[in-house]
Amino acid sequence: MHKLISYTTLSIGTLCVLFCFPTLAAVTEYHVQLKDHLFFPSLITIPANQKVKLIIENQDNTPEEFDSFSLNREKVIFANQKATIFIGPLKPGEYDFFGEYNPHTARGMVIVEHQQEPLNVN
Amino acid sequence: MLINTVILFLRDALPIFVLIVYLYEHLPANKLWLLKSVIAGALLSFLYINQINIISQWFDGKGIELFLWVSQSIVYFSTLILAYELSRNHSTNRLFLHWVAGLMISLTMVSKGSNFVLYLDGYLNQSNVLQSILIGTFLGLGICLSLATLLYLAAQWLKQRWGPWATWLLVHIYATGQFANALPLLIQVDLIDTSDTAWSSQYLISNEYEFGHLFNVLFGYQASPSIDQIIVYLLALFTPLAVFYWLELNSTSHLGNKQ
Repeated sequence: MHKLISYTTLSIGTLCVLFCFPTLAAVTEYHVQLKDHLFFPSLITIPANQKVKLIIENQDNTPEEFDSFSLNREKVIFANQKATIFIGPLKPGEYDFFGEYNPHTARGMVIVEHQQEPLNVN
Repeated sequence: MLINTVILFLRDALPIFVLIVYLYEHLPANKLWLLKSVIAGALLSFLYINQINIISQWFDGKGIELFLWVSQSIVYFSTLILAYELSRNHSTNRLFLHWVAGLMISLTMVSKGSNFVLYLDGYLNQSNVLQSILIGTFLGLGICLSLATLLYLAAQWLKQRWGPWATWLLVHIYATGQFANALPLLIQVDLIDTSDTAWSSQYLISNEYEFGHLFNVLFGYQASPSIDQIIVYLLALFTPLAVFYWLELNSTSHLGNKQ
């Protein structure tokens, strides 16, 4: 019985370790500001099939939660602080994101395109 | 703000209600452990919120994600302990079970409830939204209590019909969903690499809508899960089921041999 429990734990642990090998490559950074419950820029164009780093700076005096169902990301950004989120590699398309605490105003979109150089378009 | 508060309640408070209801029905008699767990969870949440700025700086800014992932993992493995104790029914230590269940509730309160407390903390001092938030809180609380009552009755019926393994299965499905959904936390801080999206059912049931939230709580529904998430979900769900089913078969045949 104890062996079985150990094997189960070991197999789940091994699975976790197997997934724990992020690619050690340079990651392009994209900066986004949150001010008056609005994202600037609200449209972020990133290259397809590439991991990128979003650095979101909350310039408001209230916290906000960056949330995206299509990107499968959620992160609280405290008042007047920065937060980092890695996204991708993604297929070409449009991926919505919003501020969970102010979903009517704080909205934006990540546009994933095939491109040579990364762009940051407002 | 009103609708937003209701949705936040569904997303962050409903998982706590569901787990409490399942464990309340699953564990036998003496419900004092539940009150103690809720108080411990509230105190831990208070501590967590107070230290959240420091925790967020841990491990090069990965502190919150790691904390939440570890919490969900502990809740998942606690479910396996509950099953193990159930499989050796002749010597079940009730106090130990209450500690395990208490830990599960307290950690869920910290990991899920803290988000809601942060929201309230940030916006309650704004007088123009106070009324909306309070009405939203009452509405959200009402929805959570109604759903919790329905789930309690369903769990009670299942337990009467199929015994304590039925309620354990409910807890296991819930904990597996939360465990698999914690995987993106590690991906978003670049601790593990992501894989392709397995499918997208956003057009059918989006995670943004009420049913999406409800199914996410009940069995970890994701409209666009990654292949990693699917693998982890299936392994985490079916491996313990196979192990404990095999153990039950073994113990039954042992009893049969003794007789």
